Amino acid sequence: MSETSPLRPGSPSRNTVARAAQAGFSLVWLVPILALVVTLGLAWNAFSGRGELITVEFSDATGITPGVTALRFREVTVGKVEGVAFTEDLRNVLVSIRVQPDVAPYIDDKAEFWIVRPVVSAQGISRLDTVLSGVFIEGFWDATTEQKQTHFVGQDQPTLARMAGEGTWFVLSSPGAKGLAEGAPITFRGLEVGRMQNLRLSESDETVLADVFIEAPHDQRLTSATVFWDTSGFSVSLGAQGLSLNVASLSQLVQGGVAFSTMAAGGAPVESGHLFRLQPDEETARASLFGSAEDDIRLSILVDNDLSGLTTDSDVVYEGLTVGRVTDLGVDIDESRPDGEEVRQRITFVIAPSRLGLEPGATQDEALSFLQDRVAKGLRARVSSSGFLGISKVVALVEQPLAPPDRIDTDTKPYPTIPSIPPEVSDLSASAEGLFTRLGSLNLEGLLQSATNMMDAVTQVAASPDTQAIPSSLRATLDETQAAVADLKAMTQELRDANAAANLARALDEAAQAAEAVRLAAADVPEMVVQMDEAAQAIEEFGFAEISAEAEGILSDLRAMLGSKDAEELPRNLSDTLQAASGLLNDLRDGNAAGSLNQTLDSTRVAADEIAKAAESLPELAERFQRLATRAEVVIAAYGGDGAFNQQARSMMNELSRAASAFGSLARTIERNPRAFILGR
Amino acid sequence: MSEIPDLADATGDPAAAEPGAHGGPVLTAHRAGLIGCRSCGRVWPPETRECARCGEGLVPPDRRGLQAVWAWLFAGMIFYIPANVMPMMNTSSLGGLGGGGDSTIIGGILQLVHHGEIFIPLVIFVASVMVPIGKFIAIIWLALVAGKPATHEEAHSRLKIYEVVEFIGRWSMIDVFVVAILSALVQLGFLVSIKPGPAAASFALSVAFTMLAAQSFDPRLIWRGLPLRRRKDVNE
Ligand SMILES: [Zn+2]
Repeated sequence: MSETSPLRPGSPSRNTVARAAQAGFSLVWLVPILALVVTLGLAWNAFSGRGELITVEFSDATGITPGVTALRFREVTVGKVEGVAFTEDLRNVLVSIRVQPDVAPYIDDKAEFWIVRPVVSAQGISRLDTVLSGVFIEGFWDATTEQKQTHFVGQDQPTLARMAGEGTWFVLSSPGAKGLAEGAPITFRGLEVGRMQNLRLSESDETVLADVFIEAPHDQRLTSATVFWDTSGFSVSLGAQGLSLNVASLSQLVQGGVAFSTMAAGGAPVESGHLFRLQPDEETARASLFGSAEDDIRLSILVDNDLSGLTTDSDVVYEGLTVGRVTDLGVDIDESRPDGEEVRQRITFVIAPSRLGLEPGATQDEALSFLQDRVAKGLRARVSSSGFLGISKVVALVEQPLAPPDRIDTDTKPYPTIPSIPPEVSDLSASAEGLFTRLGSLNLEGLLQSATNMMDAVTQVAASPDTQAIPSSLRATLDETQAAVADLKAMTQELRDANAAANLARALDEAAQAAEAVRLAAADVPEMVVQMDEAAQAIEEFGFAEISAEAEGILSDLRAMLGSKDAEELPRNLSDTLQAASGLLNDLRDGNAAGSLNQTLDSTRVAADEIAKAAESLPELAERFQRLATRAEVVIAAYGGDGAFNQQARSMMNELSRAASAFGSLARTIERNPRAFILGR
Repeated sequence: MSEIPDLADATGDPAAAEPGAHGGPVLTAHRAGLIGCRSCGRVWPPETRECARCGEGLVPPDRRGLQAVWAWLFAGMIFYIPANVMPMMNTSSLGGLGGGGDSTIIGGILQLVHHGEIFIPLVIFVASVMVPIGKFIAIIWLALVAGKPATHEEAHSRLKIYEVVEFIGRWSMIDVFVVAILSALVQLGFLVSIKPGPAAASFALSVAFTMLAAQSFDPRLIWRGLPLRRRKDVNE
């Protein structure tokens, strides 16, 4: 005890220690405080950065691994799958995803989720990277924060178009699914500007609907005047421009595709979700535009001719420009009309006023008054042929300045009726009548009748006793006559064998062929029609009238000759001659001259019979001629300024005038040598 | 005063403090009215501020010095929490496509166990979980009981524990070493790469603070609670 007590430390020393300890106290405790702050900071950071938990329902969870599978937004990981569970009915899988807090607010009720897996499809192979990295869940949401939601139903397939970014959704309606496919491209002038998805059957009608996503800024191109058409597969079409083969890109060939175009200006802007109808092809799509605009006007015409070849969607053309389309074909019965016209076809069509040259935005009334004005100046509607083969028909609005004044009947229901004119039909049977009429006025029958009469007269002369008592003194004359008869025979032969009728028929056939050719190359230019009318007029005025007159002149000359004093004296002269020639006749008889004469006379009769027969066949010929002329008129009607037709027509006329001159030379021969007609060699 | 006392309590050498070696009550420098150097064990008169031999500052043993122990210990314990909660290392293969991810200490151990390994997870568990926690407990206990009355045997066992804690301290960084070495070695770019996670730093800090806590523990306090009077009374 005594040893240890002095060793105890003194109090000054203790005080120093205490101070030192005090000083150390405050400093060293900063360390754990700092550690705490740092750790709490880290903890808070971790906790606040932990994000929100959302659950997404999928039908299956192929490839989803809790703790590994990421949620990505625009390919950036924004969350991670925390767990996978089942729904209560075990039908679906609930995937819990921890979403980063900075994006969590944007995940609202419009968010969409789908599982991204490697896909091999007609569009190509995509997301091959997920083979290595494993699948991930892709999410899409917009930049607005609306209705908060933590439970979502995942989609089966990625919304391809969504990933593209800005754009507008529209709905496409089609009678069938042709051309529609999940993810099929939407092209504008061949450039892909969108995609379609979510094919479904419409609940309200019998169509297939598809959502179409058009990327911005191309979505601005869509208006109410926009049309969509199917570009899938390939199509072969035979149209007015000939054969055309349309093949889109290979991918569209395989999987389908749709193109759109805004064909007309002035369409109203469309909202998202606007319903467009898918047209089978571009042509139909273009045609479908007529009648879609509000200011399009509907008119109808009443016709009573054959409408085969005219269909709804047939074009309405004005000055060669398609200005509308036929919307309806129907029958209109009105007992008040005269007999035979109670039933007529009513063609309803729609016209886009903008195509008529009116200002965009012209009202229906303005357009109608414009048309009324045009009609007053001779605008008429008619059905005419179009196309390469002339099979299809269009409603043509044509200017007929010479037409009797008329007006649009605005009182008819349901649409105003525009006056129509008969068609310049390319149909032979229908166009025959006009030409018949024209040919009927040619007085061909009169000519033939005259010829027959002449033949009869000749026969009478030949058969008269005076004539039969022809003295042999007329020998010289007879020689002449025989030569004439030989001429006549030759000509008759020519008429029969080389046959003028056949020539005429051939000529007509040629004309028909020409007509056919012209009709094949048909194009309707009114000027040419006028030209052809003039040509026909010329035929009428020039050829036949002259021939007829000539023939009649010949006949009258003949009659005059027969009825003249000379003619009356002829028997006496003949008697003199005969008496003088009686001896000669006897010689002749011995030399079988009489038989020869009889034979000649028989021949003459035969010739006369032949001519008569030919004359009999001439009306038939004329009929054929008429038919042919019908065709010719069709040609004329359907034909424009084509040189080939003119040539054909000219050659036809040449043939006709050759035939006419054959008649003429016959007549002249008869006139020159009437006696040769009587006596054979 | 002329006799230089045994310096057992200053150096904490148990052999020197072994009561059996003296056969008498343990005499500490403090009780001898001296102040011992914690660095080299030399004792000095109480007024001395600096050890003339090694230059170390001389601080008398005081329970208030335990404040530093507690402070470092708390710091170490605080950092031990994120070290376990946060990922120790981040592995990625094939640029992140081949999977990988974060793993915590316990998570890594469990993963290894799942793969059928026993030895490595055991080592990691011992080094990264048992040892640090054992150190915490040991230091807490030492700090609580330091300066409290104790028998010689108790004091010696405390000293042994202190020695163990001090010795183990430098080996507690196995996890950190592993991560550091892997991070340095496995940098194959796109194929495989390993990066240390936030837990590595936390763990390193935790270990460092724990070591500091152990170091700032003044082992001389262990001997202050010896029942000198009672023994002396008994002896007397
Ligand atoms: Zn020293």
